[in-house]
Amino acid sequence: MKMTKIKTSNKCRRIRAWLYTALNRHFGPEANWLNEHIKNCPRCQRRLISCGKVNLALSFIKSQPHKLDLLKRANTQAIGVLKHSLRQESKAQKLKKRLPEPKLLERCGKYGSSLANLAACVLVLLLMKIGVFSSMDNFHSRGQKVIKQYYAKQVGEDMADEIFPEGSKTTAQRNSHGFTNA
Amino acid sequence: MTLMFSRAISYKSVWDFAAPDSIAESQRWILSTMQKYGQELVTMLWRILGNEQDVLDAYQETFLQLAHFEGGQKPKHIKAYVFRTANNVAVSMLRRRIAERNRLPVSARSEKTLSSPANELDSKYLQEALRECIAQLPEHLRIVVTLRDLAELSYAQIGRILGISAATARVYRCKAVQLLTVWMSKEK
Repeated sequence: MKMTKIKTSNKCRRIRAWLYTALNRHFGPEANWLNEHIKNCPRCQRRLISCGKVNLALSFIKSQPHKLDLLKRANTQAIGVLKHSLRQESKAQKLKKRLPEPKLLERCGKYGSSLANLAACVLVLLLMKIGVFSSMDNFHSRGQKVIKQYYAKQVGEDMADEIFPEGSKTTAQRNSHGFTNA
Repeated sequence: MTLMFSRAISYKSVWDFAAPDSIAESQRWILSTMQKYGQELVTMLWRILGNEQDVLDAYQETFLQLAHFEGGQKPKHIKAYVFRTANNVAVSMLRRRIAERNRLPVSARSEKTLSSPANELDSKYLQEALRECIAQLPEHLRIVVTLRDLAELSYAQIGRILGISAATARVYRCKAVQLLTVWMSKEK
């Protein structure tokens, strides 16, 4: 029941994303017909410029920083008009000294690239380790095979089988046999 | 400012002597609210008003109103109450400021308030023009645009604060931007 629900919601999300992309392609600001129209329509040009102005002004407002101690001063002023007993609380004293703190995501943001680099290094090391071990194993099994062939040639197949029994085969050999048999 | 200060003093004295101790004991949630939403509120007020002293006054007024809500009772939805109150207080201040500026004779206004091609790219001019337009928006549109664009809350959070759906909040914001676009073009 739960699985069906998840499947449906995934399907729904996929359809929504597809719809959004399709609509955006045909009716979004990047649509060709819209660009063509705006090129030749002075009224729409003016409207588009104004829309840009609104967005620009909003960005200006958002990018304007306030002084670092504004929160501290605001808390101090607001606490100053509360009841005396509230003003004496230890929490109130802390609030009076409080400075703005970045959100958890913003705090972790600066470590993002370092973490990504570390993860990449670990991955490369892991791949190298796997590669080295698998090559060594391969090298070992091939060496054994060559020696077995040499023995088989020199002292006969039976003796060679005795010296190199089937059970002593390495994992790589087993795998390669399995693969060829299949 | 003087008016605000005197009002604050009067509230202070009334609050100090009139309220019983039991209320003060149970009003620790005001400090918790300040701790929880203070930073977001200051940011929103700063973006609406753009003036430090006004931000301090609006912040103080918000918490005063919260402390006096229904005789010191805790509102059911504190976040909604605090954000709406702060928004209303800030916009009232903004409107007052605009009215005071408009009362001045044209010659006494700063050159920046008059539109010119050079002002088009002036960030201060654009910010003030937008603030003026936001203050003129109908309340239901204005609160959505300030909460979304200035307080940077999600549509879901705005919906919960205003008691509307996230989709409605999205529609209101779209309408608000359309109106702002028209008004900003008329500013020319």
